[in-house]
Amino acid sequence: MNVNISNQEGKTIVRLDGRLDTSNVEQFQQDIAPLMQGEKPNIEIDCTGMTYTSSQGLRMFLMMQKSVMSRGGKMVMIHMNPQVKEVFDITGFSNIIAIL
Amino acid sequence: MIKKRFNPIKDKSSEIIEFLMSSPDIPEDDVLRFKLRLSIEEAVDNVVRYAYDGGIGWLEVGTKIEGDSPVLVIELRDAGVPFNPLERADPDVSLGAEEREIGGLGIFLCKQMMDSICYRYEDGNNVLTMTKKIV
Repeated sequence: MNVNISNQEGKTIVRLDGRLDTSNVEQFQQDIAPLMQGEKPNIEIDCTGMTYTSSQGLRMFLMMQKSVMSRGGKMVMIHMNPQVKEVFDITGFSNIIAIL
Repeated sequence: MIKKRFNPIKDKSSEIIEFLMSSPDIPEDDVLRFKLRLSIEEAVDNVVRYAYDGGIGWLEVGTKIEGDSPVLVIELRDAGVPFNPLERADPDVSLGAEEREIGGLGIFLCKQMMDSICYRYEDGNNVLTMTKKIV
């Protein structure tokens, strides 16, 4: 899983590539640490290249969502592939996290 | 059954998952492989993280094809703490972010992705069997 974080016009763009699973979830948590601070974050997670997530990944996205909400910010996930989306749907995460 | 015993299993989740995913019994269809990988990861990771105190112990995994349908059978066997993961209540998927607890999703996903999942305690071993019809 490659994580690329950039800033564009006050928005933080997070580009994900590859599989998010038990083998790399700890690294992922370190990679997204910079997103867990600051007031009113505006985060867009581009999932175009994300081919897979297990419950380990879902936990990370829930943690991010809770953190963003507690700081009065917003987070949206875009371009999610149908199979990853199904995992979000089945677990009710589609109702917790904005997916466009 | 194509099977292999891993010992010890501490930090070996990826190796065990890849062994199962490379079995000739696992079909090539991408959609099916996604569901199987997810179920395998959740089940394997559960044993690796929780079955043994300190992760010191073994896990035997295997696959086979049964019947004419045909049905893929994935089996996990360990000698860890007796634990039936199917007894755990399913998470409430209707809760909002604040109320959602971090955890309990793994076995729930297995149940959703596979056709059946069974647990038995046999000869001092936890045995988890998951099946999926492969067409």
